Amino acid sequence: MHGSADRSNETALIRAAQGGDAEAFEQLVRSYDQSVLRMALNLLHSPEDARDIYQEAFLRVYKKLPQFRFDCAFSTWLYRIVANLCLDQIRKRKVRKEEAAAVTTTSGEMDRFQFLPEQRADVDPQRQLMSSEVSERINAVLDKLTPRERLVFEMRHYQGMRLRAIGESLGVTEEAAKNCLFRATQKMRAALGDFL
Amino acid sequence: MTCQEVQLNLSLYLYGELDFAQEEAFERHLEGCALCERALNREKEWHAAAYAERQDVSFELLSECRRSLRTALRSGRSPELRTSWWARFIPTGFSATRWSVQIAAASFLVFAGFTAARWMDNGRLAPGSGSGFARMGLLDMSNAHVREIEPAGQNGVRIIIDRVQQQEVTGNLDDDTVRQWVLAAMQDPSDPGIRVNSVEILQHQSGPDVRDALINTAKTDSNAAVRIKALEGLRQFAADAATRRAVEFVLKHDNNADVRAEAIDILVPADRPAPAMTPDVLTTLQDILNSEQENDYVRARSLQVLRAMNISGPVY
Repeated sequence: MHGSADRSNETALIRAAQGGDAEAFEQLVRSYDQSVLRMALNLLHSPEDARDIYQEAFLRVYKKLPQFRFDCAFSTWLYRIVANLCLDQIRKRKVRKEEAAAVTTTSGEMDRFQFLPEQRADVDPQRQLMSSEVSERINAVLDKLTPRERLVFEMRHYQGMRLRAIGESLGVTEEAAKNCLFRATQKMRAALGDFL
Repeated sequence: MTCQEVQLNLSLYLYGELDFAQEEAFERHLEGCALCERALNREKEWHAAAYAERQDVSFELLSECRRSLRTALRSGRSPELRTSWWARFIPTGFSATRWSVQIAAASFLVFAGFTAARWMDNGRLAPGSGSGFARMGLLDMSNAHVREIEPAGQNGVRIIIDRVQQQEVTGNLDDDTVRQWVLAAMQDPSDPGIRVNSVEILQHQSGPDVRDALINTAKTDSNAAVRIKALEGLRQFAADAATRRAVEFVLKHDNNADVRAEAIDILVPADRPAPAMTPDVLTTLQDILNSEQENDYVRARSLQVLRAMNISGPVY
């Protein structure tokens, strides 16, 4: 929703949803849910986790909508909720990964992630034929970004959000978001710039 | 701007996040510096490669999420479904104790009652007209649309309102009404999620009405995922001449590689001998092999089909 007509339509939907109109709430969800789900899926690389984030985010929106006072754009408010949920999940996962990256098997100690199913291989036949080297390197460097750098990179590079909106969603200044993006792109360039 | 400054700002430039003056200086430098231009091209390459890693949301996952959310909201996992309307008049940061809020609300209600009574006494608000909330700005217009409005007598007005009413239809797909609703939902232009759900529901149904609807969707839907679903549904009609003509049309004209791949799989199932093909389809398959831009999988399948039919294709 970008134009002024869309914005006034969105305001009407929010007011109706605040008044308990379930259909208006559903329309509001449908305006944003694809990008929320895509963001969670890209950040967490797990459909199950993305589904949990989706559900939790919209339930929180539903719960807190009566208190929404239009102090900021609805999208900023929504992405703040999604960003916090994703950050929590990434941080939890990093802790789990550090704690339990290795498991002991009958063949000795092995990396736990070797046992995880490949999440993408069967999605697109084109991918099966593509060299996976670039893809692996990109995912490796994304994995090494700090949770906040990862989130800012996701919001700017994949979701196309402006730095100002990213800053508002994360509760930081535009300059802080810019610095975070700067660090993330430096790391990406260092890992990929000469590789491609 | 120096080379170092330009190269530090390559990504911000590509994201359009430099301010006007910085962007001007950046572009001025770039015009005369081959080194920085090369660096910018490398930057564009990794941007594109990283973007290609973006995972798209499948309609199955999206539909599942929507269903679970709807269930959670209905089952009451969510908090109260409807807040009292007067709660909206209380500011968020209001820290008065509960009794004072109740007194304020009660006073407001008494005031509203007196005001409404005065209006009605003055004949300005006819009893039973149901427009009191409109006067107070509380009319819910989210599901209504004013179709016509005209003066009617002195100070009067005649309004014709179209109101959308939610209705639930539950039933078996053999029921003609239910079936017609699902077929209509397949054409819903506003939501590809509804279209993909409708196609999924009809996928295992037979009958010429289902076949024709699936053909129409496969040929004309604006969303590639919906077209793929429709083609999956057409597998059961693969022996039918009208279906084969439609799938051939899709193979020839669709601009999405995954849709074309699905079309080949229907025309020539991988696990069965290739059936007779029209010369037109064979030409299309040969064109695919010759095209540099074509998707690898589609080219590989075309080659496989042509080989199975002992038709030589170009070296691939």
